[in-house]
Amino acid sequence: MVKYIVKRLLLSVFIMFGVSFIIYFIIRLMPMDYIDTAFAPQLNNGTLKPEDLQRIKEQYGLADSSFLGIINGYFGWLGNFLRGDMGISFKYGDKVEDIILENIGISFGISFVSLIFELIIAIPLGVKCAVNQYGKLDYTATVVCMTLTAFPTFFLGNLFIKWFAEDLGWFPVYGLQSPNMPVTASGFQIFGDMLWHLVLPMIVLVMLNVGSYMRYQRTNTLEVLSADYIRTARAKGLSEGKVVYKHVFRNTMIPLVTVMASTLPMLFGGAMITETVFGIPGIGKITYDALSVGDIPLAMGYNMFIAILTVIGILLSDIMYAVVDPRVKLGK
Amino acid sequence: MSDNRSQERKKHYISHKESREIAKENSQKIRYFEKRKKRRVKPEEYVTEMKDDKNLVEFDDLHTFFFSDAGTVKAVNGVTFSVPAGSTVGVVGESGCGKSVTSLSLMQLVQAPSGQIVSGSIRFRADMFKLDSRGRKIPVYESEVDENGVEKFKLDARGRKIIKKNELGGNTYEMVTEVVDIAKMPTEAMRTIRGREISMIFQEPMTSLNPVFTIGNQLDEVGKLHIQGISKARVKERSIEMLKLVGIADPEGVYKKYPHELSGGMRQRVMIAIALLCNPKLIVADEPTTALDVTIQAQILDLLREIKGKINGSIMLITHDLGVVAEMADYVVVMYAGKVIEMGTAEDIFDRPLHPYTIGLQKSKPTVDQTADSLYCIPGFVPNPINMPNYCYFRDRCERCKAECSGDYPEFIQVTPTHKVACYLYKDGESAKEEKNG
Repeated sequence: MVKYIVKRLLLSVFIMFGVSFIIYFIIRLMPMDYIDTAFAPQLNNGTLKPEDLQRIKEQYGLADSSFLGIINGYFGWLGNFLRGDMGISFKYGDKVEDIILENIGISFGISFVSLIFELIIAIPLGVKCAVNQYGKLDYTATVVCMTLTAFPTFFLGNLFIKWFAEDLGWFPVYGLQSPNMPVTASGFQIFGDMLWHLVLPMIVLVMLNVGSYMRYQRTNTLEVLSADYIRTARAKGLSEGKVVYKHVFRNTMIPLVTVMASTLPMLFGGAMITETVFGIPGIGKITYDALSVGDIPLAMGYNMFIAILTVIGILLSDIMYAVVDPRVKLGK
Repeated sequence: MSDNRSQERKKHYISHKESREIAKENSQKIRYFEKRKKRRVKPEEYVTEMKDDKNLVEFDDLHTFFFSDAGTVKAVNGVTFSVPAGSTVGVVGESGCGKSVTSLSLMQLVQAPSGQIVSGSIRFRADMFKLDSRGRKIPVYESEVDENGVEKFKLDARGRKIIKKNELGGNTYEMVTEVVDIAKMPTEAMRTIRGREISMIFQEPMTSLNPVFTIGNQLDEVGKLHIQGISKARVKERSIEMLKLVGIADPEGVYKKYPHELSGGMRQRVMIAIALLCNPKLIVADEPTTALDVTIQAQILDLLREIKGKINGSIMLITHDLGVVAEMADYVVVMYAGKVIEMGTAEDIFDRPLHPYTIGLQKSKPTVDQTADSLYCIPGFVPNPINMPNYCYFRDRCERCKAECSGDYPEFIQVTPTHKVACYLYKDGESAKEEKNG
């Protein structure tokens, strides 16, 4: 087991190398780099000459866009990264690791709470639907879940803002904190206010994702329900509840945990579109803004972070697979 | 021939309209039967009488249908036979003749919702718990006779009556022997019979055990469920005892193992151990040796015969292997296309087969003392299970069919007190005599 994990971690170093190289290359190939975007107004009204722009680019290490120049830039970034220096964000002017750490909490909070709700709704519902296949509940749940899953995030998000924030006024429209918050507000009040702001985005996230988990669980349960060993369990005289929640459920957990473990990067990565629609300064929104202006250090830092989480997630799902399925042994 | 084929194909083709009608009809029927299984009924509704008191199980005109999208498949279409107490009954027939569905009907395990017991009855003599007026089981207490000759309950340290332990280490309750009709029983009541009174051994030992639980867990489950008041340690003891009984060399080790760590033969032994755990009266073995190689097959059959003597129960052996039946069975039931076509003692069926199908089956069996270039096979195919004809199902394949055979499906003809056959050839009793003389 330990040997397997070490081997996988060593292998992931190479994966990281490849991933970072490709991402760096793609960002550098973008037609507008950060300097072009940031100094466009000055260049247009003539306060800044193209030579000055070129000089600034040189200082940022963006001047040479030839193949060799990009390679050179990549190894420069890699050298710093290996020394633990992820650079300073062009856009925010802060250390990349600080920006990521500062904004990850809220994103993780939203994703984690919505994931819990998604599972609480989706798994029992999926099992129920499978047990009563083609019943009323099954059809209703399938239609509702599929409809919700089919909605684009921005559409559902804006629809909810229109209905529940603007028309009904139950929830705030935007942001993470009320503007009229007194300075003397206690920590508890601020936290409550934050939760109030997060209700709508969480509901949107849950509604969007619950369908896929539900269908997944339903399909798995159906497959296990028709297995021979379930007939054996019934032949023993076990109650239907025991058959479904002991014998069937334990077997459906095998594919479920692998899916669960691979949601790890999503958990920390932030819900980019949802955060943008609801104006929540989570890691998703921050990096979205950074990417759109070509902020290389932050984009690289964020993507490396996600890549590491993905590798860990996959490793975790392999380990979990061995934990829940006695037939799987991690060797060599 | 080609004309025939295209007609045949037309018969199989279902238009959209027809398919919708079938689906509508099916969902109605399925809903009706599912409701019937779930409703709460008083025991009086399913308690009946046996036709013959020597029998343990009586199948009476059993119909089990599958409501499929292509139409109703009459998998078991009027099956009548009985399993006498203490005997082994072999049910033989080719694949798809309804023998497995018959056995699954007995356990109420037909793949629902499409498969349903439609009519007929399965009478089973069961030891049921006697219930008091509030629906609780009545325990039997330890008692002793004191010096005055008065029977008194033994009391424990806290002054409560002690429930008598039975031979399995569980509490003793007052039992009552009742004949129940399994076809009419709700699933809830059936659960107390499954695993305790009737247990089943399945065809596929490789997939019949749950891969994520240990053998011990799966054995203990049955003990904990059916033996009330049994202690955890006693359950484990009993499970290991059973593993030993079925000839597993290292019962303690196997107890801790997962199914994938055992071979097919070992798994089938474990299945048999699970089946034996509560001393059932009837073991239904649904092709227990089909998936095993020949050496293991012989061992498993020996084991089944051995335990039958030990538990003093009956075995219903479903198989398509005539050799297995010849070796094991006291009585043989031959099925074809969802109906019983011939039944009798093993000698009747093997020495004096009457139905052309049974004779064909015997002929198609390879023999050691004869050299043949190719084995005999019965010509033709089993008719399509949807839209069965109303004449004898074997007519189109029969070498000896007569004009009469195009009439209604033949009734059973009692040839000897033990031997029955459903064939027009023996209607007047003359052919039977001929057969005997010849």
